Amino acid sequence: MSASQSAVRSRAEAVQVSRTLDWMILFTLFTAVLGGYHIHYMLTGGDWDFWSDWKDRRLWVTVAPIVSITFPAAVQAMLWYRYRLPFGAIVCILALMLGEWINRYLNFWGWTYFPVNFCFPSNLIPGAILLDVVLMLSSSFVLTAVIGGMAWGLVFYPGNWPIIAPLHVPVEYNGMMFTLADLQGYHYVRTGTPEYIRMVEKGTLRTFGKDVAPVSAFFSAFVSIIIYFLWHYFGRWFNKTDFISGEGI
Amino acid sequence: MKTIKDKVAKLSFVALLMALTSAMFYTPTASAHGEKSQAAFMRMRTIHWFDLDWSKDEVAVNDTMTISGKFHVFAGWPETVDKPEVSFLNIGIPGPVFIRAGSWIGGQLVPRSVSLELGDTYEFKVLLKARRPGDWHVHTMMNVEGGGPIIGPGKWVTITGSMSEFVNPLTTLTGQTIDLEDYALDNVYFWHALWYSIGLAWLIFWIKRPMFIPRHIAVTSGKADTLISATDKKVAIGFAVGTLALLMYGMGSTNEKYPITTPLQAGLMRGIKPIEMPETSVAVKVEDATYRVPGRAMQMTLTITNNGDSAIRLGEFNTASVRFLDADVLEDESGYPDDLLAEEGLTVSDNSPIAPGESRTVEVTASDAAWEVYRLADLIYDPDSRFAGLLFFFDEDGNRQMVMVDAPLIPSFI
Ligand SMILES: [Cu+2]
Repeated sequence: MSASQSAVRSRAEAVQVSRTLDWMILFTLFTAVLGGYHIHYMLTGGDWDFWSDWKDRRLWVTVAPIVSITFPAAVQAMLWYRYRLPFGAIVCILALMLGEWINRYLNFWGWTYFPVNFCFPSNLIPGAILLDVVLMLSSSFVLTAVIGGMAWGLVFYPGNWPIIAPLHVPVEYNGMMFTLADLQGYHYVRTGTPEYIRMVEKGTLRTFGKDVAPVSAFFSAFVSIIIYFLWHYFGRWFNKTDFISGEGI
Repeated sequence: MKTIKDKVAKLSFVALLMALTSAMFYTPTASAHGEKSQAAFMRMRTIHWFDLDWSKDEVAVNDTMTISGKFHVFAGWPETVDKPEVSFLNIGIPGPVFIRAGSWIGGQLVPRSVSLELGDTYEFKVLLKARRPGDWHVHTMMNVEGGGPIIGPGKWVTITGSMSEFVNPLTTLTGQTIDLEDYALDNVYFWHALWYSIGLAWLIFWIKRPMFIPRHIAVTSGKADTLISATDKKVAIGFAVGTLALLMYGMGSTNEKYPITTPLQAGLMRGIKPIEMPETSVAVKVEDATYRVPGRAMQMTLTITNNGDSAIRLGEFNTASVRFLDADVLEDESGYPDDLLAEEGLTVSDNSPIAPGESRTVEVTASDAAWEVYRLADLIYDPDSRFAGLLFFFDEDGNRQMVMVDAPLIPSFI
């Protein structure tokens, strides 16, 4: 078969093949992102995402959006600029959260028996939808970084508060006050995670008094903007087409 | 075409493998049996656990047991390990097979990290509530920031019953009684399922139409603008507005349902009370100490001076949780783990009572397979070849005195 001969013989066949490729590419993208993003998120967000007693108003709110805007920015750079497909962020987040749920359910609960209400992942969906919508409507990665990145950081806490709030109800236990989340961390023994490793409620934002979550969210949003730019360029670089000279092949 | 298909199929398979691997990548530490692999000097020259008591060997699900005892924070703490200024009284079990219902040092509840002082001795207690049936090795454990876990002795405990019966009831400060084991779990699933479906809906809206090749052709031929229709934009705005509305609704309804919440509690606890140890009236000088590699025995020449008013005898040498006893003086009745107990492991050249005011130089040999089994012999390969341990002396009335020893150790290979 010569290279110039077409692989398909009719338009219907071409459409069918193209559709098959769509599914294969999407599946590959989904699973590859799931793998890479999940590892990235475990290494950078790690314990903040694993445990309810790390989901605080300062560091979790700051760290999680910053380290998670990475892959969505890169994948958006590919899907939008090459295909005008505005689902780069959501496909990443759906993949990540599926991987996380598999891990938490099978490993944390199924293998090690940590209750699921202690080791559920963070919710990143609202930010992903906004990020995709902003990119689609603006068709500008600068605007997406600024407005979308901002939204990404700001909606993280509200998107998770309904899930964690019940665990922030206080309880008196042996003469000390805990939140239920603190008590989960104390009761469900993590031999490898001593209490001092827990980085929560630390920082220099004390001057803002009680309302630290919004302040942390704003800070996180600003950094998310910068990280979006950075990873947007990673995404571009990663999916650029290089042509090499035919001579000497 | 076929080759491309094959390639993509191959790539998909690789990606799937990657995904599965990553999902399996992390499991929180399930095992706690690091005691033997821990450097010998870490076990000998940091925290000395003694007077340990595991209240039960067998416990039913929902029943409790305690591990209590004392630990001495060695004054000659090694330079290579951070001082125990930030320490956490942990428990070495394979995951939450028990829940830690309480832990105390010097009578103070210690759910968080504490500051310990070198040279002090503390009393501790850990209350455990059985959760998952099985045979578990239960260790005492102290985590030291910058030093890692310092694992104490472990003992096998059997949990009987069924985990499905386990409950963890608590009453909150807002007056609700809850079971922490599955509290708010439905809520977690509900919000995750709801948001995931919305995200999925957005994705499906786009993947229903032809994706990569036709759109790529359109983009490269300058027709990118035709790919997003006015309806698409309306739907997108709908999703964005819906997202914001749901966020606001979620915040509102949650704050209404849980008007009282507090931030996570954290912070170092200071001022932990040590035990007031009585002035010791026994003075011990280590003249020399050698470890005989082939004989698995440590030999010390000690000059013991009795400054008290009752005759004393040496009953026990305790190092790295291994207890060498002189059976004539002391018998263990606490059910101490067999593998760590050398009931007749201590030989004293002359262990007749040392009278008040008397000073005597004796040869003390501590020999047991435990030196090898627990890899304590490895300390001769340490950068600072020293040993340390606790000596327990008993007077005529059975009163006990604890003396710390810490001296260089010379290995002997013949
Ligand atoms: Cu063990």
